[in-house]
Amino acid sequence: MASRPLRTRVNGTALERTVPDERILLDLLREDLRLTGTKRGCDLGTCGCCTVLLDGRPTLSCLTLARSAEGREVTTIEGVTPAEGLHPVQRAFVERGATQCGFCTPGFILTSVALLRDHPHPSREEVARAISGNLCRCTGYTKIIEAVLAVGGGK
Amino acid sequence: MHLDPFELHEPATVEEALELAGTLSGKFDYLAGGTDLLPNYKMHINLRPHLISLERVSELRGVSSNRIGAMTRLAEVEESPDLSRAYPGVAEAVREVATPLVRASGTVGGNLLLETRCFFFNQTYPWRQSLGFCLKADGDRCHVVPQKERCYATFSGDLAPALAALEAEVEVAGPSGRRRMPVEHLYNAAGDGILRLSLVPGEIVVAIHFPESARRARSAYTKLRVRPSFDFPELGVAAAVWGAAEAPEKVRLAIGGLETYPRRFDEDTDALAGAPLTDARVRTVAEAVTRRVRPVHNTFLPPDYRRRMTEVFVRRTLSRVRAPNGSVAA
Ligand SMILES: Cc1cc2nc3c(=O)[nH]c(=O)nc-3n(C[C@H](O)[C@H](O)[C@H](O)COP(=O)(O)OP(=O)(O)OC[C@H]3O[C@@H](n4cnc5c(N)ncnc54)[C@H](O)[C@@H]3O)c2cc1C
Ligand code: SF4
Ligand code: FES
Ligand code: FES
Repeated sequence: MASRPLRTRVNGTALERTVPDERILLDLLREDLRLTGTKRGCDLGTCGCCTVLLDGRPTLSCLTLARSAEGREVTTIEGVTPAEGLHPVQRAFVERGATQCGFCTPGFILTSVALLRDHPHPSREEVARAISGNLCRCTGYTKIIEAVLAVGGGK
Repeated sequence: MHLDPFELHEPATVEEALELAGTLSGKFDYLAGGTDLLPNYKMHINLRPHLISLERVSELRGVSSNRIGAMTRLAEVEESPDLSRAYPGVAEAVREVATPLVRASGTVGGNLLLETRCFFFNQTYPWRQSLGFCLKADGDRCHVVPQKERCYATFSGDLAPALAALEAEVEVAGPSGRRRMPVEHLYNAAGDGILRLSLVPGEIVVAIHFPESARRARSAYTKLRVRPSFDFPELGVAAAVWGAAEAPEKVRLAIGGLETYPRRFDEDTDALAGAPLTDARVRTVAEAVTRRVRPVHNTFLPPDYRRRMTEVFVRRTLSRVRAPNGSVAA
């Protein structure tokens, strides 16, 4: 069994620790760092619940080796949430009823935060396309799309 | 799901990677974006004790209007305006792979070398064990065509047909040097879901190269899948046409998602050169191609439906590219 030191940044804080080669980023976050906001859904790339930002880009942490975070910045839902209150995207999800059981919500928020950073005023179609790798079993997506559009000033 | 332990190697050059491959012969897999390999590892399919990651090999990166490095992420191809303008069929195929999240990690090289798929194979270890393992992993028979000792797992990559229709080439590096070949020659045309590639063990896909002529082609890709996001192709038809609709110089068709390898149909499309691409001529070719393909029942949609849709999709795809404005008098 092989391990090696990993140097990365998680939610703005430098992290250095020895990690087994086969460690998956999702397991590092949830089990080693106890950042359980990132959810394990399918564990196979088919739901988007495990989405985190890797150098700002939405990435499936269940299909990413922890090693791939070497020298890079990982942002989870905990890193997006301010110390007080909510991020504007989180607030829009609450206000527009875009979250029900909430299991998929961290993934949707991170995907949406990245979309709105790159395209501050997306169209409905651009939103639908951006979130097409995130599955939700509760909301039927309409409310989620409306929430993201509301943050971008559209309807 | 935790992965079983393996040792990860992170070479910085193609030569280093090949050297490692030589020492670890038969005991390793290359790792690119991991979106195909890691799900299979999680399901305990054909595990190896070593992974050679290609992530740090800078030569494998980069996209320009005539070359795509093998480690280029699908998302980077999607975001390259030059490439999308030059090869619309490739742009259409890339946009339809999986989801934006998978395309953020998945690479072009990994897409070409995607493991073949079958619903008796892409299953967890206990699932496969309870039915009885199959030839492709751990077992000695096939559940799809039980009377044959052969695997029929389906080639389900979207890029290969789009590239093959444009006559793109692939550059590979191996123990005995580098070579280039047409993209479709990467695959075993004898039709074997296990021995699916023509590569020598250890060979690395370095890049895709587009010939000058590819820029002059009109190209398109049409994909059949159950959900318009996520799903693998149940059929993927790529077409390219060179020259005027009244007298095309050349027509190429390549189809994936049906058999164990992506296949070109030059013997049928060569007959289309030199005369107007009328509805009737397009239909004749679509029917001829449909008679040749042999899908089996190992994906979501039944093979008979996929065959019938082959005819429809060949007509639709050729119709989209037969003329600069997409139509011609019948
Ligand atoms: C939910 C989901 C949906 C998907 N849907 C689609 C789809 O619709 N269409 C589609 O085409 N694919 C689909 N895929 C499969 C996969 O994501 C893509 O094909 C992707 O492009 C694979 O690239 P990768 O870099 O992740 O490959 P990896 O998983 O890293 O590698 C795949 C294989 O290629 C080998 N390999 C990779 N690069 C090289 C190289 N340069 N030289 C030598 N060997 C190499 C590896 O050893 C491995 O055997 C899907 C995957 C998931 C999880
Ligand atoms: S086609 Fe047969 S041998 Fe191949 S993966 Fe499916 S069941 Fe296994
Ligand atoms: S848990 Fe990663 S995609 Fe479902
Ligand atoms: S809110 Fe329950 S899965 Fe999306």
